Amino acid sequence: MTPEFALELRGVRKTYPGFALKDVSFTLPRGYIGGLIGPNGSGKTTIIKLIMNLIRREAGDIRVFGLDNRTAEVEVKSRIGFVYDVPGFWDDQSLDSQRRALGAFYPRWSDETFHRLAREFALPLDKKYKALSHGAKTKFALAMALSHGADLLIMDEPTAGLDPVFRRELLQRLSALLQDEGKSVLFSTHITSDLERVADVITFIRGGEIVFSLTRDELLDGWAVVKGDERVIRELDPRLVKGVRHRAFGVEALVSDGGAARRAVGSRAVVDKVTLDEVMVLMAGENRHAA
Amino acid sequence: MLRNALRKDLLLNARHLWGILPWFVWVAYAMSEPDAGRITAVGAGFIGSLMATTIAAREDKLRTSATLASLPVRRRTLVQARYVVAIVVGAATYLIVAAMAALLPWSVQRAAELVELKTVLLTLTLAGMAIALIMPLVIRFGLLGVVVFLAAFQVVGVVLFVAADFFGARSGSRLFFGTVERGIAALHAGLGQPGPIVETAVVVGISVWLSFRLSVFLAERRDL
Repeated sequence: MTPEFALELRGVRKTYPGFALKDVSFTLPRGYIGGLIGPNGSGKTTIIKLIMNLIRREAGDIRVFGLDNRTAEVEVKSRIGFVYDVPGFWDDQSLDSQRRALGAFYPRWSDETFHRLAREFALPLDKKYKALSHGAKTKFALAMALSHGADLLIMDEPTAGLDPVFRRELLQRLSALLQDEGKSVLFSTHITSDLERVADVITFIRGGEIVFSLTRDELLDGWAVVKGDERVIRELDPRLVKGVRHRAFGVEALVSDGGAARRAVGSRAVVDKVTLDEVMVLMAGENRHAA
Repeated sequence: MLRNALRKDLLLNARHLWGILPWFVWVAYAMSEPDAGRITAVGAGFIGSLMATTIAAREDKLRTSATLASLPVRRRTLVQARYVVAIVVGAATYLIVAAMAALLPWSVQRAAELVELKTVLLTLTLAGMAIALIMPLVIRFGLLGVVVFLAAFQVVGVVLFVAADFFGARSGSRLFFGTVERGIAALHAGLGQPGPIVETAVVVGISVWLSFRLSVFLAERRDL
């Protein structure tokens, strides 16, 4: 039976001095693009490292296409294309040497795909890695990740440091991958506009805990921002209020049910559709709802 | 998979291994010195192995460890490749010195002496023990491991010399190097007889095996 999820995390824990990932659970259905967002130091990279088994989890279960990422490590990794936030390759070696040395590890490696991508990304294969710009290094990491028929792409901040033109091109490519080949993608980012453009599922993490994992439509159509004075905001059901920000002209509250908020406040406050940027700011902000 | 890991180590770290080249300049000179052949060949095999053990340190410095750990290969296999490469590079270095002894026009060495069983076994013993000692440190601590090891070695050396002087030896360094030299000479002589060969092979084999198990244990638990 084909597993329903490309990725499943259940009760995953990892502790560092001064930081802990607490019972992280979320899923990514097959054929979906998942975005992982959260403030700096919230645990996005730690989650990605745990999925890749680069660090050891203390508790919980991580499954990739139904396979445990530790006991079936080799098979799991042969199905994942991975782009690290700071790609680490051999500085004094040409891109082509690295293609020859690393491609051999993948059973479904395709030189043809790699060379096609290298041409599209204008990668100088005879040049040493250290001679590349940051953007070109990311493109090389991406070409490597896309050349072995991976079923799941995992990328940690792949768009950071890329120019807007290539960022858009990369996002289009991710969407095309899903449409053409039914692949799944998980990527972390700070750039909320990237997520709005392509992500099907958005998972928000703060302080090592998953705050929500929702489809883009559930989030952008269901959630809302209520703008009014403090008295009106206090009348909202506290279970709906996910974050509050005090402004010079009043208070903004992020609510998880826009319809219920509209019924509660009537015409005494403005209820707007929410953007991902507002979700980030209101949820990461210091003014949590006190009620 | 081991084949891929070996290929990767040799392809992507070839430039690092060229660091042995200056050693061959000295070897070329030493070939004109009577009685220097054996010690030069043993030293070359030892240095070659040591140089290869530092591949992990170099990859650590380049931050490629995470890239390697994301490949579809077990960390155990990557560690295995490190040990095999160290032995292969040591053996290759040794053979190159033997070839230089035979081929260089100014060589006064007898190449046959260099491929004697007891000389080959002595090289294997010294290189094997060095690999067994250093590899777990390099795999766990990377470049820092090598630096700490060398610094600790220096400190131990200084302490030994001072202690030797303190207890009345005329020259601490002479005593130390004399002891090492006599020890190596005794081992070399012993490796010509079946009993010591078996004993030495068992000690070196167990040391390398324990070192490998420790390296795998450390590599599998290392957070990258």
